[in-house]
Amino acid sequence: MSLNYTWRLLCLCCATFFLLHLVLALVTRLSVGTAMRMAARLKPSSAARLLFFLRISPMALTLFALLAFCIPSYLWLEPEAAGERVGFACFLMASLGVAIWLISLTRTVYAVRGTVRYLAQCQRYGRKLQVPGEPSPALLLSQKAPILAVAGVVRPRLVVSTTLLRGLTAEQRDAALRHERAHRTSRDNIKRFLILLSPDVLTFLRAFTALERSWAKFTEWAADDQAAEGDSHRALSLASALVRVARMGAQPKLSYLFSSLVPDDDELTERVDRLLRPQPNPGKPAEVLLPFLTSAGALMACAVTVVLIWPDSLSLVHQALERLVQ
Amino acid sequence: MISDFMSRTDRQPQLGPLEIRVMEVLWASDQCSVRDVVEKLERKLAYTTIMTTLDRLFKKGLLARQKAERAFLYTTRLSHQDWQRQCAGHLVAGLLTGSRPSRELLLSSLVEAVGRHDVNLLDELEEKIRAKRKELCRRSQD
Repeated sequence: MSLNYTWRLLCLCCATFFLLHLVLALVTRLSVGTAMRMAARLKPSSAARLLFFLRISPMALTLFALLAFCIPSYLWLEPEAAGERVGFACFLMASLGVAIWLISLTRTVYAVRGTVRYLAQCQRYGRKLQVPGEPSPALLLSQKAPILAVAGVVRPRLVVSTTLLRGLTAEQRDAALRHERAHRTSRDNIKRFLILLSPDVLTFLRAFTALERSWAKFTEWAADDQAAEGDSHRALSLASALVRVARMGAQPKLSYLFSSLVPDDDELTERVDRLLRPQPNPGKPAEVLLPFLTSAGALMACAVTVVLIWPDSLSLVHQALERLVQ
Repeated sequence: MISDFMSRTDRQPQLGPLEIRVMEVLWASDQCSVRDVVEKLERKLAYTTIMTTLDRLFKKGLLARQKAERAFLYTTRLSHQDWQRQCAGHLVAGLLTGSRPSRELLLSSLVEAVGRHDVNLLDELEEKIRAKRKELCRRSQD
């Protein structure tokens, strides 16, 4: 198949994305066991951070390689000839690259759309409730289902049902709200969004399911620790709030972009047992997105430095791309 | 209904008590000859009885064997966990292929049992919390 300059660039980008992502994702998948064992020895917030970075690293590193080396080398060194033949293997890999992106984008769009619609309904039918410590009013729903969650990615809102508020004592309510606040300050919904956006090794294999479940568990533990702040009485209140909410019945199925108080009944026993044991005060929650953006910037600066010091690096990349096209 | 269910689970090899004990010995060790199994069993049984049992398990497809000198060495084809998973799978599949009323009856019993288990679990957790609260109160009074 013969493609012109721009389509060839697109095809190469998708094929390179697929190939690099596959290799990096397989390497990541192989290191998941070790990472999970390491995470078990760390404090929950650090463990959650480690697993989160591991989960999104294949996508982040692949995009970095594309933006820092592949696209510049193509734009700089590829002559603008009329058309060039693209091999079947390259075309196949490009198609698979497009497919895994489409699947990730579709599930992200579905989750965002579900969250936006749910929040719109909450705003329409719910009442606004001022909650101390919350930047925007919480949305109070007159529902039988026990709901307490932080919903939304950019400006997360607290959503709470009257059943849950009435069913908890003041101490339990305070502990539960602190837990949700911890999810908001740790920007867990943005992390969920990035996880949704990151393709799996091969999407249908769902090879990162164990990693994602483990990340979710440590995220809950970290929020529990933030809520308790090393205070045994507060930890007890949170534990009893968890049990009380579990007794209220099943929560409705919410979008992945919700951080709920009891997202998974299977983890409840472990969480309660953990809260009954004395835990150290985790201190102020560590900022996650700033180091992430800083390291991305530093990586880009390194790439520019490499290209400036060693211009041949781009021609090497270009040769590799030429081979891929053939 | 029960006979219905039993006939549907025929595909899963049924094991007798001795066969289960022999399988447990083999799951616990890598490879065993007939003599090894005889020695490892708590109850002393005749060599020929174990040989026949191992042969039966081999024919049921649960064991693999290879000849070493003059004796057979037996290994399991499935891990203990895989065997249990297969049993559970067959059981559930058997329950779900019944007639509609029996299926609904069985499923509702299952849901009820799970619900009872959940309530018991929550009771246990609440009891633990209560005990911990008492302990904290006692400590703060001291």
